[in-house]
Amino acid sequence: MIPGGGGAAAPARPVPRDALRRQAPYLFGLAPAAILLAAFFVGPALWAAYASLTNTALVGIDAARPRFVGLANYERLLGDPDFANVIRNSVVFVVGSAVVGQFVLGLSLALLIDHAERRGYRLATLAYAAVLLAWVNPTVIAGFLWVAMFDFYNGSLNTGLALAGAGPVDWLGQFPMLSVVIANTWRGAAFTMLIFLGALKTIPSDIYEAARVDGANAWRRFWDHTLPSLRPIGALALLSITMSTFGTFILIQTLTNGGPGTQTEVIALYAFHEAFRSYAIGYGSAIAVVMLLINFAFAIVYLRWSRARA
Amino acid sequence: MTRTIDRRTFLKAAAATGIVVACGGDQGAPAGGGGTAKGTISGTVTVSYPDEAGLKPKYVQLAADGLRAKYSGVDVKIDHQKIGSGDFYTKLLLALNAGDVPDVIHVGGDKIGELADAGHIEPLDGYLKQWEDWSKVYPDAVKSGVTYQGKVWAIPYGLDTRFLFYRKDVLDKAGVGATWTGPKNVDDILEVAKAVKSKVAGVIPYALYAGPAGDSGTANHAFIPLLWAYGGDLQKDGKWIGDSPALRKVLDYYGRTYRQDLSPKEILTTAKPWTAMREKLGLKGELALLFEGAWNYGGWVTKDKAATERNVGYALFPTATGGPSFTIGGPGTAWYVTAKSKNKDAAWEFVKAFNTKEIVAKLNIEDPHPVARTDSAEVAEFKADKYLVDSTESLKKARFVPPDANFGKVIGVIQKATARVATGEMSADDAAKRYTDELRQAVGADKVITQ
Repeated sequence: MIPGGGGAAAPARPVPRDALRRQAPYLFGLAPAAILLAAFFVGPALWAAYASLTNTALVGIDAARPRFVGLANYERLLGDPDFANVIRNSVVFVVGSAVVGQFVLGLSLALLIDHAERRGYRLATLAYAAVLLAWVNPTVIAGFLWVAMFDFYNGSLNTGLALAGAGPVDWLGQFPMLSVVIANTWRGAAFTMLIFLGALKTIPSDIYEAARVDGANAWRRFWDHTLPSLRPIGALALLSITMSTFGTFILIQTLTNGGPGTQTEVIALYAFHEAFRSYAIGYGSAIAVVMLLINFAFAIVYLRWSRARA
Repeated sequence: MTRTIDRRTFLKAAAATGIVVACGGDQGAPAGGGGTAKGTISGTVTVSYPDEAGLKPKYVQLAADGLRAKYSGVDVKIDHQKIGSGDFYTKLLLALNAGDVPDVIHVGGDKIGELADAGHIEPLDGYLKQWEDWSKVYPDAVKSGVTYQGKVWAIPYGLDTRFLFYRKDVLDKAGVGATWTGPKNVDDILEVAKAVKSKVAGVIPYALYAGPAGDSGTANHAFIPLLWAYGGDLQKDGKWIGDSPALRKVLDYYGRTYRQDLSPKEILTTAKPWTAMREKLGLKGELALLFEGAWNYGGWVTKDKAATERNVGYALFPTATGGPSFTIGGPGTAWYVTAKSKNKDAAWEFVKAFNTKEIVAKLNIEDPHPVARTDSAEVAEFKADKYLVDSTESLKKARFVPPDANFGKVIGVIQKATARVATGEMSADDAAKRYTDELRQAVGADKVITQ
């Protein structure tokens, strides 16, 4: 783990036992995390990669005698007219609710609350708690809260519209993607806000003092000092929310279950539906593997970006 | 109050029969049917079943008690799961796959093909030879509903039938008339729906299940009856039919229904849309027309018998040309013995203990389904119930989907096609072409024909 340790040991070429002894405390410390990751991430991922090369199913003849089918599931995926649609939905959902929604809203909230706290406004804590409440809810409950909001017959939005003499609007039917993007933005903004709030607290205030003395206005101070200080942590936040949004489906499942038609069917939901509604485990695994690869690509891009600018 | 007394009397009667059967066993008499492994039946039987409504537990308990009384060495472990049958099925498949196997399971009869092919369930023919009730009181239609590849795989107790339910009070306001007894043809359904839409505010005219959210209801309660109404079919000579004139007419019917807002779009996005639709039709009068499982009537009657009988009418499904009306039948939910059960003989004994004349009659009176056993229909209380008699009678005009391992996959294709038209994403003709492609993908190109 210590970069210098490996480099220093290399020329001397000690017997492996010595190296092992020297690294033992680190290995020991890392073991629990490594074991958990292996058991609950690497293991299942490898299993999924294997299953994606078979026609494993939960029902029918394929369940009794699963066969190795090579890349047939991937070929099918490429020829699946729904898949292009699903990818497009995923991109819209991730860009809309994570990159634009959660990231921008989370950053704005963090700046506002940080500003309010520095000024000593008492309501800052209340605002902080309100944002956090959305986040501490289990996703299913958050989903049902929004169902109660969007519902055509008894939903809060349509009840409000009716009071104003308008509506009703079929929110989930007419604006399905916008609806799930709004719900997911609301739910996830708190995470980004927390991260940025933490980062904002680490910026020493004398930088701002100096800038003020130099005559920089608020916008300039934000652009020249706040933003660069937030960049590394921002990349990390962006990576984290992109990947988790890409893999999320419970909120959408509760709100529209991918519908109407396939208009909100995102890749994670598609994998779930193929595996547990059509019971095609092999095909569902192939979709999951593609999802994993896309997430790896995201990770590499973001990490490079944050290292280059940091 | 009468209901409670009835049940208590019944429990006593059943307990008495149990004792009689138990005595018979002790004397070593060959009567009663168990047969082959009679002396060796012991150990634990795990019975796993879903029930959200809570009507079944007392009958499962009764069967378990009967079994324990008959065989002192047998214990019954009841795994009652308070979840919907769809969720139960997914959970069960994962458990079966992981080797965590209950002995007896309770699953829809339409799953026979896919479960049998997967090797999850045990054929019962060997046991049935020893059970004289099977040849005496189960009609051939019931038997063929649970026969797949020449073997019997499950024992049904309450059969499925469906009705086109309608609100008499709403149709009266819509000017259709309180004496309306059902549509003349399929277009007539839409005409009535249009009348409701234009004349009765706050009422959904019609609910036509579509898309994946409708689950198997999209197929059984909407698509398949329409396909038959237009003279089409799902299969011909063992092959699945893709694009056909009838299919295009069905999809066009979907298009017309949803374009004119006669059926709510929420059906496409709401999880389990039937929950709300059943309630709106039966209890609230907020939905005028719904083709649904006949069993739903039971829930409405339990809540308000008088209002249900006054306001809810039921009819068979019409054809496109005004030919004889029909319905879609099914084996309903059934009991299966799992292939990997370590105690199949005792598992079978449980299935038998549940499927007695009395239990089958009582459960289906409470949860109204036509009975699978003809002798259960002879029970006075069953015969006195007009709705049950009508339901049973409707099966004479019912058509059945033959058990097929690919039916589940085909339902998925049906869901996609109906959703594409209902959302306006595709025209009926384009969706019909796509239906063929997806059917080929789902069941294999060699098993699909077009007409």
